Amino acid sequence: MREVTFLEAIRLAIWEEMERDPNVFIIGEDIGRMGGAFGVTEGFLARFGPDRVVDAPISETAIVAVCVGAAAVGKRGIAEMQFIDFISYAFDQVVNVAGTYLYRSGGKVPIPIVVRGPSGGYVGGSLYHSQQFEAWFFHTPGVKVVQPAFPDDAYGLMKASIRDNNPVVFYEHKYLYRRIKGPIPEAHEDYIVKLGEARIRRYGDDITVITYGAMVHFALEAAQRLEREGISLEVIDLRTLKPLDMDTIAESLQKTSRVLIVHEAPKTGGIGAEISARISEHYFEWLDAPIMRVAAKDAFVPFAEPLEKFVLPSVDEIVFAARELAAY
Amino acid sequence: MSTTTLLRDGQQVSAYHEQLTKQDLLEIYRRLWFARLFDEALYDAKKKGRLRRGNVYGSRGQEAIMVGTTYPLHEDDFVSPIHRDMPVFVFRGMRLEEVMCQIWGKAEAPTRGKDSWSHMGDISKGIIHSTSMLGSTIAVACGVLWAQRLDGRRDRVLVAYTGEGATATGPFHEGLNFAAVHKLPLIVVVENNQYAYSTPVELEVPTKTVAERALGYGIPGYSIDGNDVLEVYDTMCAALEHARAGNGPVLIECVTYRLQGHADHDETRARQYRPVEEIELWEQRDPIPRFRNYLLNTGQFTEAELPEPPRDLVEQIQRAIEYAINSPDPEPHTALEDIYDESAGVSRCVK
Ligand SMILES: Cc1ncc(C[n+]2csc(CCOP(=O)(O)OP(=O)(O)O)c2C)c(N)n1
Repeated sequence: MREVTFLEAIRLAIWEEMERDPNVFIIGEDIGRMGGAFGVTEGFLARFGPDRVVDAPISETAIVAVCVGAAAVGKRGIAEMQFIDFISYAFDQVVNVAGTYLYRSGGKVPIPIVVRGPSGGYVGGSLYHSQQFEAWFFHTPGVKVVQPAFPDDAYGLMKASIRDNNPVVFYEHKYLYRRIKGPIPEAHEDYIVKLGEARIRRYGDDITVITYGAMVHFALEAAQRLEREGISLEVIDLRTLKPLDMDTIAESLQKTSRVLIVHEAPKTGGIGAEISARISEHYFEWLDAPIMRVAAKDAFVPFAEPLEKFVLPSVDEIVFAARELAAY
Repeated sequence: MSTTTLLRDGQQVSAYHEQLTKQDLLEIYRRLWFARLFDEALYDAKKKGRLRRGNVYGSRGQEAIMVGTTYPLHEDDFVSPIHRDMPVFVFRGMRLEEVMCQIWGKAEAPTRGKDSWSHMGDISKGIIHSTSMLGSTIAVACGVLWAQRLDGRRDRVLVAYTGEGATATGPFHEGLNFAAVHKLPLIVVVENNQYAYSTPVELEVPTKTVAERALGYGIPGYSIDGNDVLEVYDTMCAALEHARAGNGPVLIECVTYRLQGHADHDETRARQYRPVEEIELWEQRDPIPRFRNYLLNTGQFTEAELPEPPRDLVEQIQRAIEYAINSPDPEPHTALEDIYDESAGVSRCVK
C-alpha cells in the first residue's frame, strides 16, 4: 500500500496506464512543460515525450475532438480540462460526437476517451471555477460519468475509465486534491474499481445517505455527529454516477427505509432527482418516509464567502435533514 | 520616440500623437502609473492577507496597451476588458471604489459579490461583461455592435481585449469572422504577452505574428510594440478611423510580456517555466520609464513634473482599498437574487 493524496492517486493511475499501454496519451492546457495547473501531470512530459503528453492551445473543442478522432482509430486519449467548467466549449464533442459514435457506426466504433478535470466549490472559485454540472452528461446516452471521493477509488476508477471503451467524464473535486490522503494498492497489483459499482463507506441502520464527490466527506462528518444522538447513517458513495448502481441502493434501503440524497450540484434536475424517481418507481413500499434531498440551491456558485456558503450544501444541512428524516 | 510600427501593407500610420497636448501627455503618464500602482497594491494586499479570496492577475508591464487603446476612444464607444485589464474599467468611468468592492466580493460591487475580478461591467458606460470562458467576448461583441446597427449608430466602436492564447478558441474565430463578414466596427486588441499561463506563444499560434490571423478574415492586422504607449495610441487612432468609416474590424496585436506569474499563486513556477534572462530582458523594456524618458528627452517636461510614482495616485488606490475592506459583505440570501428577471418586456440596460 502507498499513502497518497487524492491528486497523487489520480496522477499515479494515469502514469501507470500510460506505462502499461502505449496507446494511451494525454492532452490539455499547460499539462506538459508545467505539469498541469494542479500538478496532475507533473513529470509526464519527461517520461512520455511530447507526442503522448500534449500541450494544447486554449481550444477545449479541439482537445476533446483530438481524443475522439484518435479513439476512432484505436488510441485512448485523456483530455484534461484545466477546470471542468470549460468542458462547456467541448459539450458538442462529448455529447454529439463522442457519445453517439458507437451508435451511429452500427456498433463498430467505440470511443474510449476520458475527459477529466477539477470540479466543485468551497474554494472561492466563483462562477466558472466551481461548477458540478455532471447532470448534463448524466442526461446523455453513451457517456459514463464518474466522481470518486477517496484516493483508492480515484486510483482504481481512473484506471477503469482509461480502459473502458466508452467516453467517460471524470470529475475530480479540487477541494479533495490535497486535503484527502489515503492508501492505494501497489502498481503491480493492477487494482481496478469497476465502473458502475457504488461502495458503502459507512454502515448504519437508520438512514441511507446516497452521495458522491466531496459530499461523501460531508456525509461522513454528519454521520459522526449524529451517532452521538443515536441516529445511525449508512453512507453510500456512488463513485460512478452513470451507470447508476441501483442494487447497492436497494439493499441499503431495504434495511433503513429512509433515504437522504446529497449532492453539491443544484437540486433541480440533479442526479438526486433521478435516483429519487427510480426509488419511487421500484421500491416505494420499502419507504417509511419521503425521500429527502440536500443539494445546492438553484443558483450559480457565487464568489463572496457568505454567498457561496449560502448556496452550497453544508454538513449542518445534512445533519438537520437527517434528524428530520429520522423523526418522520 | 521612435515609432517603428510594423503595419498593414507596410504603411506607417500617421503620428496621431503629435496632436496630443501637454496635458494629454501628462494624463497618459499618470494613467500608466495608475495601472502600475493598482497592480502593485493588489499584489501587496494579497500577500499581506488583506485580500483573502480570488486570484490577482497581474498587468505589470502591459500598462501601455490599456492606456494607449482607451485614450482615443469616444465616450460612447464600448470596451470589453478581460482578466489583465482591470485599470480599463476605471479609465472607462467606473469608480475605483466599485472596482475594489468587486475584487473584495462586497455588496456594493457591480456584481453584488456574485462574480469575481474582471467579470463585471457597466452597460451605461459601455463596458461589456466578460466570463472566464476565454474568447467568448469576441463573439458577444458582435451582438453589441449589431444592436448599434439596429439603432442607426454604426459609428460606435467596440474594443474587445484578448490574450494571444485565447485567439485559439472557437468563439474568437467565429466572432471575428462574423464581424468581418458584416463589417462591424470591432477592434480586437490582442495583448500578446507571449505566454498563456505556461504555454509559449509558438504552441498557441502557428504564424509568426498573431496579426497574421487577420489575413484569414480579410481585415487589417497590426503587430506593434505594446510597450510603447504612443505607438499603441497611433495604431488605435488609425483602427478607429477604419472602423468608424464602416470598413469593418481591425486586429491589433500588441507585443508585450507578462512580467509576473499567470496570477499571484504562480510567482515561483513562472520563473521555472520561463527563462529568467527573458524576464529580466523585458523588465528593461518597462513601458513607464520608457515613456518618461521620451517626455524628458523631447524637452516637454522637467523631472519634477513627472514624479515616480505620482503620490496622489498611491493614496487614491489605498483609500479605495480601505473603502472596500470596510464596506459590507453581501447578505447571504441575495445569492438567490438576479437569477431571473421577471419584469417582462422591459429592456433595462440601454446605453
Ligand atoms: C475556455 C477557457 N479555457 C481555459 C481557461 C483557463 N485559463 C485562464 S487564463 C488562461 C491563459 C490565457 O492566456 P492568454 O489568452 O494568452 O492571456 P494572458 O493570461 O496571457 O493574458 C487559461 C488557460 C479559461 N479561462 N477559459
